[in-house]
Parts: sequence; structure tokens; C-alpha cells
Amino acid sequence: MTALLSQFSVNRGSSMYGKYVLKRVLNGIFIYIVLIFIYSFLFNMTMETTVRAQIEEIVRAEVMSLSNSKITPSEIEQYGLRRKTELYSIYKLDKPVGERILFRALNVLTFQYGKSTMIKSAAGSNDVITIVLEAVPKTLILFSTAMIIDIIIGLWLGIKKAQKPGKTLDKSTSVATMIVFGMPSWWLGMLMIMFFAYIVKIFPSGGLHSTPAPEGFAYFIDSLYHLTLPVLTLVILGFWGRSFLTRNIVLGVLQEDFIMSARARGIPERKVLYGHGMRTAAPPIVTMALLALLTSVSGNIVFETIFSWTGMGNLYWVSVQQNDVPVLLGNLSFTTGLYISGLVILDLIYGFLDPRIKVGGKA
Amino acid sequence: MKLSDMRNSISDFWKEFRKVKSGIVGLCLFMFFLILVVFEPSLLQFPEANNRWRDINYWENNPKSAPPEWTNFFSSKKSSTSAVLKNPEEIDKEMGSMRMKEYVFEYDYDFDVPPQDIVFMANGSGDPMVLISIERPDGETIDLIQQSFSLGNANRIRVSMGKDSFNEVMDFASEYEDYSIVSQLDLSKISLCEIIFSEAKMGMTKSKVPLKGTYKIKITSFLQNSSDSIGEAQIVIPGAVFGVLGTDSYKRDLFSGVIAGIKWALLIGILTAVISVSVGVIYGVISAYLGGVWDTIMMRIFEIFVSVPLLPVLIVMSAVFKPSIWTLIFMMCMFFWVGPVRTVRSMAMQIREETYIEASRALGASHSRIIFKHMVPLLIPYSFASMAIYIPNAIVYEATVSLLGLGDANIVTWGQILSDANSSGAMLNGIWWWVIPPGLSIAVMGMAFAFIGFAMDKILHPKLRTR
Repeated sequence: MTALLSQFSVNRGSSMYGKYVLKRVLNGIFIYIVLIFIYSFLFNMTMETTVRAQIEEIVRAEVMSLSNSKITPSEIEQYGLRRKTELYSIYKLDKPVGERILFRALNVLTFQYGKSTMIKSAAGSNDVITIVLEAVPKTLILFSTAMIIDIIIGLWLGIKKAQKPGKTLDKSTSVATMIVFGMPSWWLGMLMIMFFAYIVKIFPSGGLHSTPAPEGFAYFIDSLYHLTLPVLTLVILGFWGRSFLTRNIVLGVLQEDFIMSARARGIPERKVLYGHGMRTAAPPIVTMALLALLTSVSGNIVFETIFSWTGMGNLYWVSVQQNDVPVLLGNLSFTTGLYISGLVILDLIYGFLDPRIKVGGKA
Repeated sequence: MKLSDMRNSISDFWKEFRKVKSGIVGLCLFMFFLILVVFEPSLLQFPEANNRWRDINYWENNPKSAPPEWTNFFSSKKSSTSAVLKNPEEIDKEMGSMRMKEYVFEYDYDFDVPPQDIVFMANGSGDPMVLISIERPDGETIDLIQQSFSLGNANRIRVSMGKDSFNEVMDFASEYEDYSIVSQLDLSKISLCEIIFSEAKMGMTKSKVPLKGTYKIKITSFLQNSSDSIGEAQIVIPGAVFGVLGTDSYKRDLFSGVIAGIKWALLIGILTAVISVSVGVIYGVISAYLGGVWDTIMMRIFEIFVSVPLLPVLIVMSAVFKPSIWTLIFMMCMFFWVGPVRTVRSMAMQIREETYIEASRALGASHSRIIFKHMVPLLIPYSFASMAIYIPNAIVYEATVSLLGLGDANIVTWGQILSDANSSGAMLNGIWWWVIPPGLSIAVMGMAFAFIGFAMDKILHPKLRTR
């Protein structure tokens, strides 16, 4: 990797790279805005039903608090109606559909996801954005830990496989790749919990830490202990695919002419592999690894539920169970933003590692 | 492409495919699943499992959370298997204005763990009165039930002896056991069948020794009016173990559920993969063929779809729109089609430059003719390979959406079975036969298509073949 970085030093063609970065980031923002508009269009009806119900609730509460005072019932009724129209105009519910969708999309783009109906954050707030932001780091910790271990094992195994293709190790691990290919991660999680938490009681069945949470260093150890089983599950499922892809990329590179010529020049095989082969194979491998992280987060997100890991995936589950539409939609918008930023960062790294990309502008 | 060409290329492909062992294994597994689907009606012990999966009444005669029958082979204590006793000895007597009908069932009990219940089922009408007693191998007789029915419009008699004969069984137990111990028992502490099928002696409620032998269950019914009748009597014994895969805590037969799930998994997987890969391939080819502005616009649209986090969007759409299985398949297709586009586009870019494309354009062939006649057929092998790879994905996505309880409630899928298992705490209670079979089915089916897909991939990309 260090060889790589020195080869494509930042100085060389940095202005071209800067232009590439700008183009890619703007493109990402554009896609994000388009998607948010599509979401608003799709889910406007449901969101409005929820907002209307919330307004009804507010007005009813206000009317109730007034009913003890001296005001006559007809005045109270009038007040209620006035408040309702007021709130309707605040949330633009009295405007035509097109304008409502636009308003909703602009709100989402400025992270104003509204109030939740049931779910509360740890501090008791019912702002959707607070609830979502609380869940984000937990998801990132779980999946990035798993992915780092996953990529290290996958890379090592993939290179081993590529060195001796068709031999026992290569074949057996390839078969294992296919065996776990269609296995849902949450199902393996269920089995792991059943085995390691209820039959052989060595791991906790879920959660972020023990209750009550220990303090200081013990808290760190305790968190690691709770992290082990979900990470183990993800790694067991993940590294096969990683090693299989690494193998294919490395094997493809090893069949290039320049490798043959390097071998012919008598360069030791180790140097051919790591010096020549890996230098070429690195950009696609890095991309693949990061893409794997992204798809893993997006595809296995529900997996958190099984381990009661209160991240974003678990938030989907909870908001579906509680029918909390604002949280559901806010979570989706935030996930989409994270996902697109991931894709943009991926492209930037790839462009950085492979200079051909930034010149052509296209892959 | 002529038909004979097609046949040739298929047979060539088959020759290559045959050499890849894993591909053959995958194909065999796929065939096995297909055979199971075809023979589903004869395999299902509960033929209505498909449309009455969530109907509690349909499953009421099954034991609750019973392990599979074959677990008996691995256990030193034999659990009673589930059984249905039919064709009893019948005695019909006129007693003045009354009629008496008597059924005697014989039950050979040769197990260590008693059944969960004994259920008497019959058809009847009017207001029959039913007395049930059981004669044990040691000569003791327990009068279990004495009940008058007023059936009205209903014509079904169902008596659960394991639930409704508490006092009678406790009376029997107190003949041998200390009254102070018996009086403290209730249904949450002891199963009545445990006492019925145990040796009668001091301490029988604590340490139970099974009493093996033939039990005679005698049902005596008194029919007072001419309109009263009773018939088709049978005894259902929900054992301690059940069937091939046991039952869940809603008493459903899991084997029926898993078998009924095969066709849905295949349907979801194959339909989603075929539609989305076809759309993606055609989209990629058109984009590459047209080039220029059209290519730019189409790739922009593609980029937007690629940037969608698939599973979260599917979950939210399912939660908001409450889709049926067909809508869910449609929704998955809406996002899955992007998969092959990039590869197909770059392949089609190369094909576009071939001289025969130029030639047919010079001959005045229409765009659609060139695309569908000359370009798309070349990508068919690739399409099949990616279809095989997409099938497991679609199955897993449906299962995941179902896990959240958002699946189509009119069908049974493996994901829904697992969802119920998760929400009922099957893991916590160690009901492994509820968790493992459906998930394993998903995994094995995914594996079958992965084997097929990877084998095709190997043939199509010879560079990755072993040296």
C-alpha cells in the first residue's frame, strides 16, 4: 500500500484530481436531492396522515386545557378550529399537492424530519433527527469492526488462493463461498445466539453492554464482549466472498504479460506477487472492500435486531413495530445520505488509486 | 439465430457445464426442489397448510412445540409419538327412550414421555351426553369427563382430556399420594397425561414411572332425543414428538410449512431474477447501442437507482404500502435491474463496433432489429449466469422483509416462519426445529443457485479458470 501511495503521489496532477473530486461530490449531492424528492413523492400521503393525526392531538390537548377556564364552549370550538387551520398552514397542509411534496422534500434536505409518534431518544427527545443520530454510531461501530476483520482475513486468504489456483485450499474455500452465498446473516445470528448464548453460555444474547453498564475500562471490555458475537457472525459469513473476489482479481492480474516478463527476468515470486501483482490489483481490491462494507451495511442492517443492537437497523424494526412513520422515513433519508456519501468516497479513493479514472472521468 | 444454432450452442454449453462438478450438484439440488414442489400435495400431511397457516383452529389437534419424531433415536427416553385412533369397537344399545352408544379405543403406550393431551373428536347433533373413562393396564379406571353438549348448529364434538379433567385426575392421584401434595398442584405445574400414564403409587406426582401397556379409552354417549346423534368418533393423541420437523408454539406442523415455502421461494427468486436481469440487460444494450446523449441520460437514471440503499427502501415501502407477494416481487425488480447494467453496457460497447452490426445497419436494419436480433442474443449466456446469482438475493430479501413482519399474510414463506420463531422466542426456548429447517432451506436453495451461477461464470470467463 505504501508503494502505491508513493507512486500516485498527491502532487502529481492534483488540480485534475481536485476537479474530479468536485465533479463527483456535486454528482452525489444531485443524486441525493433527486432521491429525496422521489421519497417525498412516494411517501407523502402516509407522512401527511401522520402529521394530521399529530395536529389533531395537539389541538385536542390545547382545547382540554382550556375547558376549565371561563370561556364558553362555542368559543373553545372556534379556538380549536382556528388552531387547526394555523397548524395546517404551518405544515403547508392547506396547499396543493405539488407544493406539499416540495415542502416536505426541502424539510428532509435540511434534516427537519419532524417529531416521532412513539419512539423517544435516550434523553427523552422525540425529534426524529436526534433519534436517528443516536443510532448511527452504533451501526458504524458494529459494521466497520466486522468489515476490518473480514477484509484482513479475506485478503490474506484470497492471495493464498490465487497463488495456488485449483488446489485443495482454493477449491474448498470456493465451495464454502457458495455454501454461505444465500445464507441470511440474521439466520446465522439466530443460530449463534441459540448456540453460544443459551446452550453453551459463553456470550450474551444481545445488547450493547450489560445492565447496569460498568464504568471506565470495564465498560470498554464489556462492550467488546457484547460486540464479539455479532461481529463473529458477520465475519463468518463475509470473508469467503471477500477472499473469492480477491482471488479473481489477483488471478486476473497474475495472468497479464508483465507478470510473465517479471517472472522471466528471474524476479523472486514473492516480489512478483506483492510488488508487481498487488500494485495493479490494489485499486479494484480496495474498491471491492469498501463496496462490501456499504452493501453489508445496507443488506444486513436488519441483522442488528436479532442481537438487540440498537443501531439504525434496529430502528427500522422498532419503527415498523410501533408504526412510527416519521422515524421510519427519517431513518431512510439518513441511510440514503450515508449510503451515497459512501459511494462518493469510494469513487474518490478509486480515482486516487487509479490515475486513469480521473483523466477519463469515467470508469 | 436459428433453432438449430441454438440447439448446438446449448449442447456445447452443456458439454462444458457437465465438467464443473459444483454446477452439477447445484442442478441436482434445483431438480430436487422442483420435484418437491410437484409432489407437494402428496407430501403435505396437512393439505390446507397453504391457505390456513394462520388459522389456529386448523392446527388445534397438534402438540405444542413438539420436537421432530426422529429425535427419539438420539434419546434414551422415548417420547410418545402423535397418533390418531380410528375404527373403535362400537356398541349400540337401545335403553327405553334413550339410546346408548359406546366406543372403545385401544391405545398401546410404550414410551417414557407421555403425550401432551388426549383429544376425543366426533360429529354429532342435538344434545348428546358424553362420558369418558380410561382403563389402565394395571386395572385402574379413571373417569375423566362427564359432559353434556348442546350442539345447536355446530356438529362437532371436541373434548380435550388433558385440559378438562383436572379434578378427576387429581382425585385419582390423591388415592395414592398425600392429599397435601396433590392439593397444591395446578395445570401449570403438572400435565394430566403424566399422571394418567404413570404407575400409581406413593410419590407418583413427583417421580413418575411410566406405566406401559394397553390403555382402553371408553366413550359412552347417551342420546335422549331422536334428533341426537353421534358418529365418526376418533381419538387424536398429540404426542410429545411430532412428524418430520415437529411443531411450533402455535401447534403448526413445520414440515408442511417448509414444504409449502419451497414454491414461493422458487417463484420469488426466479421471477425477480428473470425480470430484473432481462430489463437490466436490455437497458444496458440500448444505452450502449444508442450512445451519445441517450447514453448519458440513461446512465444518469441508472446512477440514481444504483445509489438507493436497497433493503431499507424495500422495508419502508413494504411498511407503507403493505404489499402482496406480487407487489413485493415488482418492488424488488424495480431496484434489482441495475445489477447487470454496467457489465452489459461495456460488453455491448464492444459488440457495437463489430463489422456485422455495421453491415446490418448499412442494409437498413431498424434499431430494434439490431438490438434484439444481433446484440441481445450474444449476452444470453451472461444473463443466465447473473440470473442464477440474483435468485438467492431475491429470496433473502423477501425473507428479510418477512422477518420484520411485513410479508404477505396470505402465503407461507420461510422468512415468515422464521419471523414467528424470532418473535416467539424460539431461540430462547431452545426450539431449534423451528429455527434451523426454514433457514437451512433458504441457505441450501441459495447454495444451489450459487453453484449453478458460479459454474456458468467459470465457463464464461475462462481467464479465471485454474491454470
